[in-house]
Amino acid sequence: MTRRQLLQRLPAGLGVASLSQLLRADSGLPGLPHHPPKAKRVIYLFQSGGPSQMETFDYKPRLVDFQGQDLPESVRQGQRLTTMSASQSSFPIVPSGYKFQQHGESGAWVSEMLPHTAKIADRLTFVKSLHTEQINHDPAVTFFQTGFQIAGRPSMGAWVVYGLGSETRDLPAFVVMISPGSGGGGQPLYDRLWGSGFLPTRYQGVKFRSVGDPVLYLSGPDGFPRENRRAFLDTLQEVNQLKLDETGDPEISTRIAQYEMAFRMQSSVPELVDLSKEPAHVLEMYGPDVHKPGTFAYNCLLARRLAERGVRFIQLYHRDWDHHGNLPKNFPKMCEQTDQPSAALISDLHQRGMLDDTLVIWGGEFGRTSYCQGRLTKDDYGRDHHPRCFTVWLAGGGIRPGLSYGATDDYCYNITENPVHVHDLQATILHCLGIDHKRLTYQFQGRHFRLTDVSGDVVQDILV
Amino acid sequence: MLRRTCLVVPLLALAAGAQTVSFNKDVRPILSDRCYACHGPDSAARKSKLRLDREEDSRLGIVPGSPEKSEVYQRITSTNKMKRMPPAYLGHQPLSQGETDILRRWIGQGAKYEPHWSLIPPRRPLTPPGEHPIDALVRAHLHREGLSLSPEAGRRTLIRRVSLDLTGLPPTPAEVDAFLADSSPGAYERVVDRLLASPRYAERMTIRWLDAARYADTNGYQSDGPRDMWRWRDWVLDAFNSNMPFDRFTIEQIAGDLLPNATLSQKIATGFHRNHSTSAEGGIVDEEFRVQYVADRTETTSTVWLGLTTGCARCHDHKYDPIRQKDFYQLFAFFNNVPERGFVYNFGNEEPYIKAPLPEQQAKLDDFDRRITAARQRVAQLEPQARAAQARWEKRVPKLTEEWTITDGLQLRAPQLESFDGSRIVDFDNQAAQFSFHDAYTFSAWIKPACGDCAILSRGEDYFEGQGHFLHLVNGKLRFHATYRWTDLAMRLETVQPVNLNEWQHVSVTYDGSMKASHVRVYINGVQQKLNILFDQPIWPLDTKEPFRIGAGGGKRFTGDIRDVRIYTRDLTEEEIGVITLLTDKARADRLRMWFLEVYAPQDVKQARAQLASLESERAKYLKTVPTVMVMAELDTRRKTYLLKRGAYDAPGEEVQPAVPAVLPQLKSDWPRNRLGLAQWIVSRENPLTARVTVNRYWQMLFGTGLVKTVEDFGSQGEWPVHPELLDWLAVEFMDSGWNVKHILKTIVMSATYRQSSSVSPALLQRDPENRLLARGPRMRLAAEMVRDQALFVSGLLVEKIGGPSVKPYQPPGLWQELFGGKGYEQDKGEGLWRRSLYTYWKRTVAPPNMINFDSPTREVCLVRETRTNTPLQALTLMNDIVYVEAARKLAERVFRSSPNDETRISNAFRLVLDRPPKPAESSAFNKALRQFQSYYASHPDDAQKYLKTGESPRDTTIGQPDLAAWAAVSSLLLNLDETVTKE
Repeated sequence: MTRRQLLQRLPAGLGVASLSQLLRADSGLPGLPHHPPKAKRVIYLFQSGGPSQMETFDYKPRLVDFQGQDLPESVRQGQRLTTMSASQSSFPIVPSGYKFQQHGESGAWVSEMLPHTAKIADRLTFVKSLHTEQINHDPAVTFFQTGFQIAGRPSMGAWVVYGLGSETRDLPAFVVMISPGSGGGGQPLYDRLWGSGFLPTRYQGVKFRSVGDPVLYLSGPDGFPRENRRAFLDTLQEVNQLKLDETGDPEISTRIAQYEMAFRMQSSVPELVDLSKEPAHVLEMYGPDVHKPGTFAYNCLLARRLAERGVRFIQLYHRDWDHHGNLPKNFPKMCEQTDQPSAALISDLHQRGMLDDTLVIWGGEFGRTSYCQGRLTKDDYGRDHHPRCFTVWLAGGGIRPGLSYGATDDYCYNITENPVHVHDLQATILHCLGIDHKRLTYQFQGRHFRLTDVSGDVVQDILV
Repeated sequence: MLRRTCLVVPLLALAAGAQTVSFNKDVRPILSDRCYACHGPDSAARKSKLRLDREEDSRLGIVPGSPEKSEVYQRITSTNKMKRMPPAYLGHQPLSQGETDILRRWIGQGAKYEPHWSLIPPRRPLTPPGEHPIDALVRAHLHREGLSLSPEAGRRTLIRRVSLDLTGLPPTPAEVDAFLADSSPGAYERVVDRLLASPRYAERMTIRWLDAARYADTNGYQSDGPRDMWRWRDWVLDAFNSNMPFDRFTIEQIAGDLLPNATLSQKIATGFHRNHSTSAEGGIVDEEFRVQYVADRTETTSTVWLGLTTGCARCHDHKYDPIRQKDFYQLFAFFNNVPERGFVYNFGNEEPYIKAPLPEQQAKLDDFDRRITAARQRVAQLEPQARAAQARWEKRVPKLTEEWTITDGLQLRAPQLESFDGSRIVDFDNQAAQFSFHDAYTFSAWIKPACGDCAILSRGEDYFEGQGHFLHLVNGKLRFHATYRWTDLAMRLETVQPVNLNEWQHVSVTYDGSMKASHVRVYINGVQQKLNILFDQPIWPLDTKEPFRIGAGGGKRFTGDIRDVRIYTRDLTEEEIGVITLLTDKARADRLRMWFLEVYAPQDVKQARAQLASLESERAKYLKTVPTVMVMAELDTRRKTYLLKRGAYDAPGEEVQPAVPAVLPQLKSDWPRNRLGLAQWIVSRENPLTARVTVNRYWQMLFGTGLVKTVEDFGSQGEWPVHPELLDWLAVEFMDSGWNVKHILKTIVMSATYRQSSSVSPALLQRDPENRLLARGPRMRLAAEMVRDQALFVSGLLVEKIGGPSVKPYQPPGLWQELFGGKGYEQDKGEGLWRRSLYTYWKRTVAPPNMINFDSPTREVCLVRETRTNTPLQALTLMNDIVYVEAARKLAERVFRSSPNDETRISNAFRLVLDRPPKPAESSAFNKALRQFQSYYASHPDDAQKYLKTGESPRDTTIGQPDLAAWAAVSSLLLNLDETVTKE
């Protein structure tokens, strides 16, 4: 919708102040973007629970030589472990049970469990040297999504929408979708991960759900069809307008506009989730799960559809990567659920020319230990949380494709080259969107808060 | 912007020094925001010797009287990017023209510093007699701005406003009519008094306090298990209801347990500081989270009472305010002495907690106690008779052939001797020993071990660190394991003394289900053993599919003989262990007595004992239904507190003692150096902050914005109060009244300032969009809970019942399962659906969406600033959430029954919801809509039926469905009006 159309649709009598307020709410902060953006939007494929880097992208052939040996103290250097494995009497190294091969012109190493991702490896950039400060799920995922380990700060999507505003007036600017993992569950995901923290709540992510209404309270009550709703809204707006004329309170004109947006969402959301017009070859690309609402594949396709409709920040969570034990049994299932849809999303965006201005990120809140947690047997092992190194991949808007960045030691325990802190990754994501992470701030409790707290450097090396 | 335009000058000295720059008002905000980060209180972050937060240090860069000679001024105005401050090379913007002007004038005028305004104790400003002091102060202020107060709001608006503000519910049409009809003086005041006396007032006040206190029904972190804190919530209700003075309210919540002869109620009050989020996530470091809880208390106390953002000083000296990191940890030290752990129980209250019986429950317990005492007396009376009978009976004993032992609670007995060779296993069925951590039990056996590292009994996985219960020998010592997860959810202990190899001996373990390893008793040959507790965190339910085994378990096998294995479903006493062991004369005598009493005692003796036992067990059973509440408590030996470098739990620096921030008045010498002393200090007359911060929050509650907008921050980065004299007047009045909350609220709502009309002209809106000058009354959207409560109230659905356990009203299905699987949200039936939102079960990680959509805090952390946004999700909630659809239907029934005439019905609906009749244009718009809906439902009766099915309340079947559906639609319209969800 153009500004003019918007003006025409706004009710008469709207004060100047309120109009500018309304427009500002949609167009972000003045002065943003800080620099020309490479990406207009983000699709974040968060892999909740912490996928093992050694089984996915960080090929560590020497672990085979170390198999069963204790992690040397010279490597561990007294580093903190979770109390789940800290009291283990030994820390036997366990190599990946999966084969690795190099792929594409870039020669990226990818596990045999991710064949679809392997095929698009040249479009991706693997950061193998990510590290975090948090070692338990709740603080680690909170840290990843809000830049701080304790609840209360705005999430990444909320910051982005606060800064850049929305490109759509029919859908929320920040959408969240969650898919259960192979075990049907996984680590809990709290509203705070897409919350607005101390920012106004209108910046919070809106969770699209797979059961019931896609958006809470979206559908009207039974027996109250859309024609009734239109008549309802016409009367509501008419009476609210009378009140506006009487009091001059600009909040009323905002409310009028919000009811119209709610009404539009009631058609735009069902249209969004109606996949009947998607061509068969596209559906096929995402794999058979795409037909099941609530799966990761289905959410990936919706992510593309949301991106097409101008949604700014699309946050997916796929759960259940927390393989403390039974890794050989559960890890393949997780790969199967995520591999094809993630790759399909990249290809799909590319085919539509959207990959250039869409930034896609795939990764979890931490990595996993190269030593075994719990019982190491011939055909079973598990891995504990490991914050000191793990891999994420990025693709699309602003990112140099076909790169493997950073490196870890032979034990996959410490970073040997180009460490990237979570705040660096956040700074880089914001940078691709045209935001200087140090300048997107909000004053609360006397302090100018920002997503990257007090650190963060843009990883220039991985940018176009 | 505003603060630049309204100079603060003493009242009645209006014209004096209008050009004088005020350090506090004009200069400090600039220095604080633009300079202090590097030239301020934080010693670690200071970039040069220059310090601009203290007058003496500032002279390095400031020459009083000569801006041009002052390096500070030269730097801020420099055009050289390498020289200019704040530094361009760090991405900072230069100071604005206005800001440099202020600094130039200030330096020119001598560059005088002042203590920060909020650290100077408030003094009551003089106000002219005969006028409400609030109005005098506001009028004087408005006068300087060339403005005046708006006229008083209409009576309907006024009674609606004050009713919502003081009770959270609108007035009824009858209350409005009575007010309109009462033209005598004091009519409004009588309304105010009536509202303040209503229990609804307490409910309204309580919910805001719950936000500040981060109150919830769940733990908050990760899997977010349940807790029971509603007894504390009800304490708050009681406190507001009885108008407990705010100083007492403060002392009891911070330190009620430390008051002399603390009552149950005073102990419950301390739940305030157990409301913080807690974690039961596997793998966390206990101390890290325990430190977080203490820090949360410190920060919450600072925010709620002091308006200080001490949290900023957790990792380093405060960047803006004179609060050193050491100050933070000294404050922290007050809260660091609780016997608690960081990794908490996930299925209920975590220690320390107390039983908190309601008065009627206490009465019942007292009654039990009386009856138990009587029963004991009866047993004692019969004692001589019992003794005599036993003596007679004992003569017969040698002739008795039966073999008596303790069978009360005996779940399994395997009397026969089993021999083990290191590989043999004896398995039992799946019923025995299925104990969890809150079950009491006893294991016992006679053993003749030929092994020092082996399994005696088990019910658990067959490896050492596996799940289950295990009795082992390890290095010859008796070792007991109860494990859910080896690394963090288990208890492990062993005897100090080893057993004797290759000898028969009796071993037993008893546990009382208290979730404490220290409550486990181990006996060898009936003698209680000294134990080493190896791990003590048995706080997760335990359920294993493995069978009960003798001679095997935990990957170990037994060599030697075992006989008479027993499992009891209770913890046997030491005396009873003796009786099943039978190695001493005393044990043999005890056995005879128990045997006699159980089998051969005279009928009246048996009866008396049975009576006592049954009463005791009934009481124990009843006691389990009595709610508990987490409370504060003190360790016997004070836990040492250290300054934590970078705020890290594992980086202790210097040791610190409990103390209040150095910049504030200190504790008096006769106050204890504990939470009680701290609480007394907080509400002492000398404390410049508490009263100001508190009345400011009340102001925010009534006007939408505090006099200091940053209600949580009265420091340099906080807002300068728009009406400093008004804030001080209120603060002093509050203290002088004896911290009387109702009094101060009444004082405010009686003022003409509060009673103004909220209509606004375009010119005033432009000039003062946020209404900080108070030239009009407040107009703002209702808080989340009021939106819902009002709908329930006007529809007649509201169930008004004070207090009690939290309730689970309508919620879209699946939200809880999406978080963590499990059973999910079990919605209440009946009245729980229609209670005030205050009582809604609050799960922090998935807070009720219809509250969150209306800006309710999630309660994960303390939040005192009220925010109001305006979103499409609010529109969807009001149109489609079951609670509002059902309320519309019930409202429709009320309205429909009220008159046979549609016009009158519409008018009545308006009066019920908005406390006024409709205007002609509104009436005609509603009429038109009504006709549309009537015609739709007349031709779509099926839809009418469906529409009316929403909600569990019964439908009034005397009304035709198409009619009722149309009226429900119209009622829903009314509930969605801007005016309905707004306080005008």
